Amino acid sequence: MAAAASSSSSSSSTSAAEERRGIPAAAFVEDVETYLRQSGLDVSASLSLLQERLQQYKIVEMKLLAQQRDLQAKIPDIHKCLDIVAALQSKNGSGEPLLTDYEVSEGIYSRARIEQTDSVCLWLGANVMLEYSSQEADALLKKNLENAKASLQVLVADLQFLRDQETITQVTIARVYNWDVHQRRMKEAIKES
Amino acid sequence: MQQGEGTEAQVTWEDQQNINKFGRFNNRSHELDDEIKLAKEENESLEDAGNELILSDEDVVRFQIGEVFAHMPKDEVEDRLESMKEEAAKKLERLKEEKESILAQMDELKKILYGKFKDAINLEED
Repeated sequence: MAAAASSSSSSSSTSAAEERRGIPAAAFVEDVETYLRQSGLDVSASLSLLQERLQQYKIVEMKLLAQQRDLQAKIPDIHKCLDIVAALQSKNGSGEPLLTDYEVSEGIYSRARIEQTDSVCLWLGANVMLEYSSQEADALLKKNLENAKASLQVLVADLQFLRDQETITQVTIARVYNWDVHQRRMKEAIKES
Repeated sequence: MQQGEGTEAQVTWEDQQNINKFGRFNNRSHELDDEIKLAKEENESLEDAGNELILSDEDVVRFQIGEVFAHMPKDEVEDRLESMKEEAAKKLERLKEEKESILAQMDELKKILYGKFKDAINLEED
């Protein structure tokens, strides 16, 4: 990838990261003319290459956005589980069962009477459900919540980096195009004089 | 990005970083709009719930926990609702402040970028 070839061009003050978790950085072009000469490409080939890069970035962006949506849905679900476990635990000392109305099927509700209990079952996925003591369940859910939040943070940072690279690529495309327009204008001006 | 007419102003790495920063702020500002909308709705729902509660004369209220509705004494529900309302109000406040701060920073960047590039750059919402 040209990222390695033009790493010399990012030798100015703060050089950016070369890549982040598999996403290559877009090389910043200091000077369009030098860039075109060094790459040996003419304007239209260069624009095609940059457009292609932009498309590749967009594809990765779609993937990351989907992952972000999944994580963002997961977090409130874990909160709900924690709420229920806490509710069950708080009923434990009181000597009363917990009465709840729950949805049996769409629009149909039934009443459940939950006796005091020290354990809950957690759905782990893949058709597996395990019984945990309320305390263990609480700890496990909290750990899952922390992990989900941490993953989300990393993902958001990935997306920011990715969008920066997209912006750099878009600006480079505009600059190459403008340079070309400028060149043509100058040639026209010379011809006419 | 608007394509200019062969502008003379060269884009430096610092300019590029400012453009990137503006892009990030712009994205975050849109996200915040959505979050603020949800937070406002939540505040309203809690307000409605509170009003309903005052009007009802039952002692036992079905309070949603997770996916189920737990039977809870009215007093406890009132307390819970109060603290939920407080949290929701604080959250909305926080989001609004963040949005204001971001818009201010975006204005700063606009000044800098329009200053250098004038109409070779377009930083407005399409």
